[in-house]
Parts: sequence; C-alpha cells; structure tokens
Amino acid sequence: MTGRSSRWLTAFVIAIYAFLFAPIVVLIIFSFDVSKRTFIWLGFTTDWYGRLFANQDLQDALWVTIQVAAIAVVGSTILGSLLGLGLARLRFRGAGATETLLLLPMVTPEIIMGISLLVFFAQLFNLNGSIGQIAIAHVTFCISYVAITVRARAAGLNPSLEEAARDLGASAIGAFRHVTLPLLAPAVAAGAMLAFALSFDDLIVTSFNAGVGSTTLPIFIYSSIKFGVTPQINAISTIIVAVVSIALFVAWRLGAFRGDLRNVVTDPEAA
Amino acid sequence: MTAAPASGRDRPAILGRLAGAVLLVPGVVWLAAFFLVPLAIMVVISFGALDANGHVTLANPGFQNYQDALQPEYVRVVWNSLYYALVTTILSIAIGYPIAYWISRYGGRRKVLLLILVMLPFWTSYLIRTYAWMIILRDNGIVNSALQAVGLTNEPIEILNTDFAVILGMTYGFLPFAILPLYVSIDRLDEHLVQAGRDLYASGSQAFIHVTLPLTMPGIVAAALLTFIPALGDFVTPDLLGGAQTTTIAKIVQVIFTSGRDWPGGSALGFLLMIVTLGGTLAALRTLRREVLAG
Amino acid sequence: MSRQSKPVVVPFDEALQRYLTVSGISRRQFISRIAALGAVAAIGGIVEACVSAAQSPSPLPATPAPTAAGAATAVATATPVPTPIPSPEAELFVYNWDGYIGSNTVSDFSKKYGIKVTYDKFPDEPTQIAKLQSDGKGGGYDVSYPASTWLPSFVADGIVQPIQPSLVPNLANLAPEWQNPGYDPNNAHSVPNYWWTTGYAWDPAKLPGQYSAWADLWNPNLKGHLGMLDDMREVFATAAFQLGLSPNTVDEGELDQILAKLEVQKPLVRIWTDDDIGDFESGQLWITHCWSGDWYQMTSDKPNAQYVIPSEGSIRGNDTMVILSGAKHPIAAHLWINYNLDPQVSANNTNEIGYMGPNAAALPLIDPTIKNDPRLNPPDSVKAKLVELAYLAPADLDKYTKRWQLLRA
Repeated sequence: MTGRSSRWLTAFVIAIYAFLFAPIVVLIIFSFDVSKRTFIWLGFTTDWYGRLFANQDLQDALWVTIQVAAIAVVGSTILGSLLGLGLARLRFRGAGATETLLLLPMVTPEIIMGISLLVFFAQLFNLNGSIGQIAIAHVTFCISYVAITVRARAAGLNPSLEEAARDLGASAIGAFRHVTLPLLAPAVAAGAMLAFALSFDDLIVTSFNAGVGSTTLPIFIYSSIKFGVTPQINAISTIIVAVVSIALFVAWRLGAFRGDLRNVVTDPEAA
Repeated sequence: MTAAPASGRDRPAILGRLAGAVLLVPGVVWLAAFFLVPLAIMVVISFGALDANGHVTLANPGFQNYQDALQPEYVRVVWNSLYYALVTTILSIAIGYPIAYWISRYGGRRKVLLLILVMLPFWTSYLIRTYAWMIILRDNGIVNSALQAVGLTNEPIEILNTDFAVILGMTYGFLPFAILPLYVSIDRLDEHLVQAGRDLYASGSQAFIHVTLPLTMPGIVAAALLTFIPALGDFVTPDLLGGAQTTTIAKIVQVIFTSGRDWPGGSALGFLLMIVTLGGTLAALRTLRREVLAG
Repeated sequence: MSRQSKPVVVPFDEALQRYLTVSGISRRQFISRIAALGAVAAIGGIVEACVSAAQSPSPLPATPAPTAAGAATAVATATPVPTPIPSPEAELFVYNWDGYIGSNTVSDFSKKYGIKVTYDKFPDEPTQIAKLQSDGKGGGYDVSYPASTWLPSFVADGIVQPIQPSLVPNLANLAPEWQNPGYDPNNAHSVPNYWWTTGYAWDPAKLPGQYSAWADLWNPNLKGHLGMLDDMREVFATAAFQLGLSPNTVDEGELDQILAKLEVQKPLVRIWTDDDIGDFESGQLWITHCWSGDWYQMTSDKPNAQYVIPSEGSIRGNDTMVILSGAKHPIAAHLWINYNLDPQVSANNTNEIGYMGPNAAALPLIDPTIKNDPRLNPPDSVKAKLVELAYLAPADLDKYTKRWQLLRA
C-alpha cells in the first residue's frame, strides 16, 4: 500500500534522517577545511584529499578493513541465517541451550572476547594476528546478530505457505527455494547489513587480533592523535560515502530496488 | 537430537534430522570452537591470580576475584550502564518503529533504497562519526556556536562529556540495530489483517495497539535484544562522548584489565556481568514469550 | 647501498638469530674484546665470519661490501655506523605511538637502507603491552617503545633481546647520565628514547592567575574544565607529592590517604584524558595534567598555553627502544636504533615533538626554543629533585589498581 502518510509522521521521518546524516555532513564539510585540527572553518581546500592519496598506511588500513568485512559478512550471514532458520523452525531438545549460546557473544564484554581470542590464537596456535584471525573473530560475534534477525522473521512466517506449495506439487527443496527463502531474504539481507556495520567499525576485539601489517581503519584512527589526522580520515570517509552512494544510485537506476518485496510471494520471477 | 518441523507435516525422519544438522551444526560448531573454547580459557583464568612476575597462575584457584568484584562502590557505575542502555533501547525503538513503519507502508518502490539510506551513515567509521558528534556538541562546537549566534545563550552549555551526550551518541549508534529487525517484522504484516483491524476498531490508533503492535512484537523483541545487550557493554561511546562522571561498568572491566594487567580480576568481574545480563535477558524473554508472543 | 642481494644474507641472518637467542652476553663480550683491538672493515668481517662458523654448521657468510660504510656516512653526520654493516633484512616491523617520531624519519630510513618499514601504531600503553606479551616474544614485531618501567619485567620474561653494541656504534652519543640507567644496567636490553617531566598546562586566556603547584588543580573553580591523565601512576603521584609521600610508596595507609585526596578532586575532573593534546586544543579542557612534550605540541595551536613543573615535586620519566626477542629482522632493528641515535635524526625527532632525547651529540642541533626552555629541558638543579616512577612488583601494583578502580567508579 502506498497511500499518503500523515504529515507528522513524514516530518518525523525527515527529522530522523537528518539526525542520522548530521555527523556525516559535518565530516564531509571538515574534510575541506584548511584547519588541520577541525576546530574552526578556516577556508576551503582539497589538500587533504591529495595527502590521502599519498598516505599509503591509511589506504592499507581501509583495504584490510574491507577484506575483513567481506569475509565476516559472508561467513556470519551464512552461518547465522542457517542458525536463525533452524531455531525458528525446528523443535529440539537443545533449543534453549542454542538460544543461550547465541546470546552469549552479545553479553560478553568486548575486552574479554578480544583477550580470550588473543590468548587462544597466540598460546594454542602460536599465531600473532592477521587478517584471517580478525575475520574469524568478526564472524564469531556477528553470527548472533544475523541469527536473531533471521529468526524473528522466520518465526513470523506462516508455515502453511510452504505446505501449500508442497500440496501444489513442489518438492521439499523446491518449496523452500521458491517460498521460504524469498520470504526470508529481507531478513538475511538485513542481517548482512548489520554484520557489515559491526565488522567495519569494530575496535576492541580487532585490536587484540590484529598483527603486523593488518591494521584496520578503526585501529588506525583510534591510534592516531585525535584531531591530528582527522582531515584525511574525513576525506576517506567522504569518499566511502560517495562511492557507496554512487553505487546505490547506479543500482537503483538499473532497477535493483524495483518492486515490493512482498510481491515475491505471488510472483517469484519478479524477484 | 530429534528435529521435527514446526508445521507438523510428516517428513522422512532422516530428512528432518539432516535438515536440522545442516541448519544448526555449522553455526554451533563455529561458536563452540571460536567462542566457547577461548571463553573457557578466560573462565579458568578468572579463578587464578597473578604471581610475583605478573603472570597468571592457577596455583591457588578460588573465588577470590569474584568476591573482590562485588564492590559496593561499583553500584554507581552499574547503574550508569543500566540507565544508559535502557534509555538508549527505549529511544531507539521509539524512534526506529515509526521509521520502519513509514518505510514499509509508504516507501513503495523505494523501500529498499530508503532502508539502505538508513544504513549508509554506518558504513563510514564509527569513530569518525563519534568525533563528528564531538565537533557538534563540544563547548565551542556547532550547537553552542549556533545557540550563541542566535542569542539564546551567552556562555557555552556543557553538552559534551555529560549523560545527555552519551545517550545521544549511543542512540545514534544503535538506531540501525533497532530499525532493521523492526522493519523485517513490520514489513511482513499482512495488510488484510491491518485493514480488518481498522474495520473492527473505532480508531486508527486502537487498531494499531490491538492489531499491528502485537503482530510486530517479535520484531520489537529482536530490536530490544539487539540494542539493550550490546548497549550494556558499550564503553567506547561513553568514554569518548562522556567524561569522568559517566563511567560505566564496562569501562571498569577495561580499567582492571589494562591498568593492573589483572586478567583474573577483570575476567571475574566480566563474567559476573555476563551472568547477570544473560540471566536477566533470558528471564525477560521467557516472560515475553508467555505473555505476549503466546507461543 | 648496503644491501647485498646474494643468498649469503639468509644464512648470516639465521646464524645471527640463532646465536642471539642462545648466547647473547658472551657474544657481546667476545666482540667487544675484538673490537678493542681496533676493528676495521676487514678484521670486522673476519671476526663475524669466525663467530658464525663457530656457532653453527651453516656456510660462512661472505663479508659484506665495505662500500656500505662509505654510503652510510654520506648523510651529514660525524658518527659512524656499524662497520662493516652486516646485510640487513629487507623489512622491519616497528610498533610505536602515533606522532612520536619525526615525520620524515621512517621514510628517510627506508630510503637510506632500502628497508621496507611496517610502522604499526597502538592507541595506548595497555594495548601495546598486551600485544608484546601475547606470545612472550613481542607479538611479531621487531622494535617497540615501552616505558622504562617495563624493562625489568620484559627482561625477566624474555620478551626483549640484548642489544649488540657493535651494531649500534651511535650508542657513544648517549649523554653520560644515560649510559647506565637503573632500570637496565649498561643499556643491555634497551636504548633510551625520550625523557620528559610531568606537570600541567593551562590556557591563560581562560584562566588568568598563578599556577605553580599540584594543589592548584584542586581549586573548585576549575570544575568542568579540568583534565587529568588516564594514567594510574601519574595521577597517584600528583596526590602523593602534595602529601609529602613518595609516588612509589607501597604502604596501604599512605595509599589510602592518596586515594582520599584524589576523591576530593574527582568531581572537578571533566575527563580522564587519553588525548590531552586534542582535548586541550579543542577547548574542552582549560587546564590539564600532561607531559612536557605534549605541552610543546599544544602550543602550535594555542601559542599562549603555559606549562609548569609543580613545586611540590614531579615525575621524570623516559621510554626506550627495544628489540623484541621474536624479531624476524634483528639486523634491521639494530640499524633502526642506530639511525635514531644519529645526532641529526635524533634532533629532528626532538624538534618536531618537543621531547628531549638522551643524545648528547644531538644537542647542538636541537631547536633553542626547546633546548633552552627549562620546562622542556630543566637544568640539573631541577632534575635532581625530580622522581622517577619505579617498577612495582605485581603484588604492590595491585594495591594501586584496586584504588584506581574505586576512584574511577
């Protein structure tokens, strides 16, 4: 349904989007500020972008972060979605324990998770940190978020939809593929988006699992004198926002977001 | 472990068990290997102590660290953590629900795009967004400069390094964690049910309370879980946007680990917190399931 | 160019590595005796070869080209580099604070020796120490910069390896007072990096008036504008000095008095700062507990900022460069240390960040505004009254940390 919403609701939504983007606007503005320490607007310059392109360490950190996030998202989305669906669909004796297991990483203080993995990898495997080690850590804490998101959706799905497909002649796997999976897709995508944000921004757990040359962007920024390197970091953040926005725009123009997701139920080919 | 599909439909037992294994085993095995085992190491450490060289020794295992962790002076910081997490969760859901609702109901063809726009700020660095809030909120920052320029105030208001800044920063950080699960729950609402509700109840808000809200409760529960629990353990935001007076218990755990290199002591306090948080969460979930979700 | 591309680099490196881990002390004694005979390029090379052959079955390394010595001294310095320079490895892993070195030092070193430097940074000391201790050997790094108080425990735990003086001839540049420090006799396992005093800085535009003592930081008028360092020992010292106690006390009664004094101040503190420079420059803090070099950096944005070494007494500290025991590139590591002890390089570092170094030969090259400022480079009469933070055994440190947790809560 796409009727018109009340004016209050629309105004509220616009205000919240403004709230969400306020810091982004600030950091974009200050990426063009002459002042090194982002205190006052001293003038316009694109210097920082130039220095950013010469700053190999910062670029390396971004690249490491992206690699880690890619692995973490793929790994945790797969494992977490399977878990979430299993918990929602199946009744088995270990259900309560599995649910508790899912909650455990979320209630664990990050410093404990970070140190526990540090000790685990260093003492048991003699590993000193690496992109792979960071990625493993990230998958570990992202699984819960994906699983809970997928489970919330799966729990609300009407099982008779799948039954109906079976009645109509579909195989078990076919019914799953054409009915359940598309209905779950938004939750899986949402879980993946959460996982990406979690991984991209993680600081504490990552700092204990990074090794020589595997500094991530958060570690790089946090280790920099605050306000010291910020204009370059503002510049790189601006570029990230720009790249993602452009990619989204192109995808949108190409019709990627066309269609109500719920239509997928009645017409799987439209997906 | 016997797995039976919730639909109750007959299936060959082997296929059912296989389905169960494929769904559950990979995730559980991963968590067991990379979470439970390392955690077990820390549990063992929490019963130990530091020897003369500062290394962990298990010579005299005991509950000493747990006893030490129960300091009455910590009540204040525990309260800080609870307060921030609770307010953040309530605000995130209160703000997130209308947004999710609006996108789902009125987003039309742009629904997914709008949702991704919500996430977009969170694909920049969290630290940089927090530093941006510092620029906005500090004594000579944007808000204070604007207030003074307009003439509403003469002196800067202390916004940064206060409870307000912490809650604002935390809510900001956790909003997408609330919006996404709320959205997936709201979005699958059958509009016919909502329509029926409107017909049945006198006003739109009545229909909302009696039909929409209960139907989207799983989403609300998920949002609450995904916000409250990590918010309890968040110490970076209160650390950067807060100050000396906004210390959280998570920060204390960190201070124990870092200042004294007291891994046994820090682990003990950390595990105490985990047990309490977990217990509280499970209890709340059980109650919610019974009362609200009805199975 | 000092690098050899022959395969001999590998065997020599392995041999040296094996040797270093097995018998550090005796080697140094052996080398220094030979060196005393007047080591020249050829003799040095022969000695290296004999030692390696004696220690391991691997083939003798060829003597690295003597041209290395000539190339190294082409840089405007009068002090020698190791002769001969053993072939350094191609890479070096350094672990340090951000902004704690001259901005060109890393790239200059890289260009000079053709060594690729991976320069990782840590945000705070606990992260650094956790990393270095994680595998008992330095966490994969070659060189790091721990505070001097860590040396006794690092040596006891085998986290650092002995420094080979033959590879660091610039050690001769150290001022006499730094040649045999208490925390590491004869600089066997470390080389001093910078030293500093601890005091506090303030902005006279916001806080006109006299500030000369720690007690001034307890003035209720400062509420909401005061910063104290997020550093347990330093904070406790500020109270200890006011009470006439030692900042290294381990007496529980005295520590309770210190805690009580700090509790009185706590409501005034706005931030326990990890970034005194940033918080001061942004205006969040008008007055802050800080180290001398940090104040120097603050003046680049706030030229009128003042700093004082408080009258009740203060801390003098220093940090060090160490080579971790698990270093995969020990030769490059020694070369790095030697390079940073070069007078010009050392002066460049100091001039940029305001922290004095231990390098006597660098003094003429240091910026007079730093060198002649008694707040950054106190005269001996003041230095004599400064106290160094001593290493505390874990049981004693625990007395501090229990109170620090209570203070923070």
